[in-house]
Amino acid sequence: MRRIGFFLLLLLLGALIVGCSASDTDTGTEKEETGGEKPAEEVVGETEKEAGLSGEITVWAHPFTGDQETEGAMWKEVIASYEEQTGVKVNFEQIPWANRDQKVLTALAANNGPDVFYVIPDQMPQYADAGMLLALDPYLEGFDIDDFVDTALVSTTWKDELYGLPILQEAYTYLYNADVIKAIGEDPAKLPATWEEFEKWAEKAKDKGFYATSFQGGGSMNGTLYPFLWQAGGEVITADNDVLINNEAGVEAFEFINKMYKEGWIPKDSITALEHDALWESGKMLAVQGSGISVSRMLSQNLFEFVIAPPMKNKEQLTYGTTGMFVAPINTDNPAAAAEFIKVVTSSDNQKKFNTVTQYIPTRESAKDIFGEQKYLAQLADYTQFALPGVIHPEGRTIMPLIQAELQTMMEGKKTPKEAADAAAKAIEGKIGK
Amino acid sequence: MSKAVTSKKSKLPLGERVKREWNRNAIVYIFLIPVLVHFIIFQIYPFALSFYLTFMDWKVIGDPEFVGLKHWKYFLTDTLAWKAIWNTVKFSVYYIVPTMALGLLLALIINSGVKSAGFFKGIFFLPVVTSFVIIAGIWGWLFRGTEAGMINYLLSFVGIEPQLFLSDSSQALAVLAGLSIFKVAGSTMIYYFAGLQSIDRQLYEAARIDGASSFKIFWTITFPLLKPIHFFVAITTTIGSFQIFDSAYLLTGGGPNYATTTIVYYLYEQGFTSLNLSYAAVLSYVLFFIILVISLIQRKYLGQESNNY
Repeated sequence: MRRIGFFLLLLLLGALIVGCSASDTDTGTEKEETGGEKPAEEVVGETEKEAGLSGEITVWAHPFTGDQETEGAMWKEVIASYEEQTGVKVNFEQIPWANRDQKVLTALAANNGPDVFYVIPDQMPQYADAGMLLALDPYLEGFDIDDFVDTALVSTTWKDELYGLPILQEAYTYLYNADVIKAIGEDPAKLPATWEEFEKWAEKAKDKGFYATSFQGGGSMNGTLYPFLWQAGGEVITADNDVLINNEAGVEAFEFINKMYKEGWIPKDSITALEHDALWESGKMLAVQGSGISVSRMLSQNLFEFVIAPPMKNKEQLTYGTTGMFVAPINTDNPAAAAEFIKVVTSSDNQKKFNTVTQYIPTRESAKDIFGEQKYLAQLADYTQFALPGVIHPEGRTIMPLIQAELQTMMEGKKTPKEAADAAAKAIEGKIGK
Repeated sequence: MSKAVTSKKSKLPLGERVKREWNRNAIVYIFLIPVLVHFIIFQIYPFALSFYLTFMDWKVIGDPEFVGLKHWKYFLTDTLAWKAIWNTVKFSVYYIVPTMALGLLLALIINSGVKSAGFFKGIFFLPVVTSFVIIAGIWGWLFRGTEAGMINYLLSFVGIEPQLFLSDSSQALAVLAGLSIFKVAGSTMIYYFAGLQSIDRQLYEAARIDGASSFKIFWTITFPLLKPIHFFVAITTTIGSFQIFDSAYLLTGGGPNYATTTIVYYLYEQGFTSLNLSYAAVLSYVLFFIILVISLIQRKYLGQESNNY
């Protein structure tokens, strides 16, 4: 038995050694393969020498459409343009939307993450403030940054440092059901532009048995409270940690939402609802907040005629619209190549390719002509000038559940709008240690 | 005889005993090495590392900074964490006993000799193998708090006002528990079915000859003889209930007003939304201790005498 045991132990050790050797061999092969690409590198040798770039980078992005074949072809083309310009090889990996934070954070923590990845505005300042992102300014000498839409650059900048370049933008605004507009005796060509006008329409809609709009209290504050808050002239928190959510404008926004709920203009389950698609699609709703994706969905379903209103105004004409950007982590092994990729992928030509496929709005003025033939998207592209990207603050994401809880408590009737706004302010101050 | 052998063994020096043990079971230990290595790397090491993390401040990239008991002290005063624990306890109350009862009921149905038992077994087990996201989607559709929700639509036929379900802080947690019960009852059924199959048929025959009613047979024979299964299912459903996350994440986002924020949901929020990885590690240890204590209590009161059956 002892001999058998000894033999098996040897066998196991042997297997482990072989395993390690195989791993070494793999690495070697990989190196050889990289070396094998030399002829290709030589082809673009001059460009490479000029830029001083080499090696490879890993890029992580999410699926942006349901049509992965078209999207894949678009990425191939965009990446090829970069590889051709720089000679740097790109390992492109698509990661799912679900649990993306865990994936990115754990990979970066293990120093095994991507060199370039996609983020949205409420992630950027949090990551930047934690020192996780590479500042891009040193790599932007001679780069045409003025072509980018101002509201898009707001979301890529934290404390005067640029940490990302934007590739897509959205503008959320109301999509109205034309049949419901006619049913309440109004004109689809004269849509509500102010809160006051919207209230009149909402009351009429309710009288005729329709909901005025959807309110997704279980979702992000970007789609619920914030647009009203900004329209009222308010702000949640400043970069200097001044909490403004419970000032006069903030309370006005809370009151407006409370009124919509109490009056029955929005469905009763709006407290935690994540969508009201069934009600909207069955024609029981006057309007919903939507962006390019909603328009594409409406056009593909062809349920009823709809019209798009400009973002509403109370004191200001503002709305929410996310900005998608590419960033590089501070621990990238190839910062120059990563920064170059971000510049190339957000160039005017590549933005046109990307946004034509994904149906988002380009963040460069020179790329916005892609929707010339599509009236709805062209209309939305025009509204990005009013689109704020959310609360640009390191705690922007973490304060959302605190505000959401107070908003929900108010809608449940357990707090007045003023009490809810004050409680939200207190909770935010607690969070930022003020 | 065995006593004598044990006594003789214990007198041997430790080194000699280890050597003998090794000689006797060397092959077993060798085959266990890969599993052991895997266990140490992927279970013990992260377990220890996360405990170390509870005393540090760490922003994912860069070196952690030692802060002592800061995060543990914060936990003691964190009202949201305690609310999340309380919500989890309430969820367990809604979840554990109904899951066990439904699992047992389904097992009794398929064990009763009903026609097409295999078909029913498949139907009852279907939610277990269906994606949680899909089931949550169906649940959301059933329990929408508007006329578009199926349950509210049915209630309207009997004159009951539409219920808010997931938007009502007094109902939301129970509705989420219902979703978990629906998802898990099928696997509980399988455990109980295995237990029912192992009960000696002669006991039932003897009881019937004595004129015992079906209820009496169930209550005096079936139920007590399933004690090891009760214990196993109680432990697994308790652990499952304390780890509940998906349903709140998918259907209520922890609301309304934190009514469905469970301990794992809160841990997730702290770790991956707020980037408070150290505090999330504290919460994970709190969860570990809660589950450990409950499991020990269950073992003490449910697990004893289980060897008798």
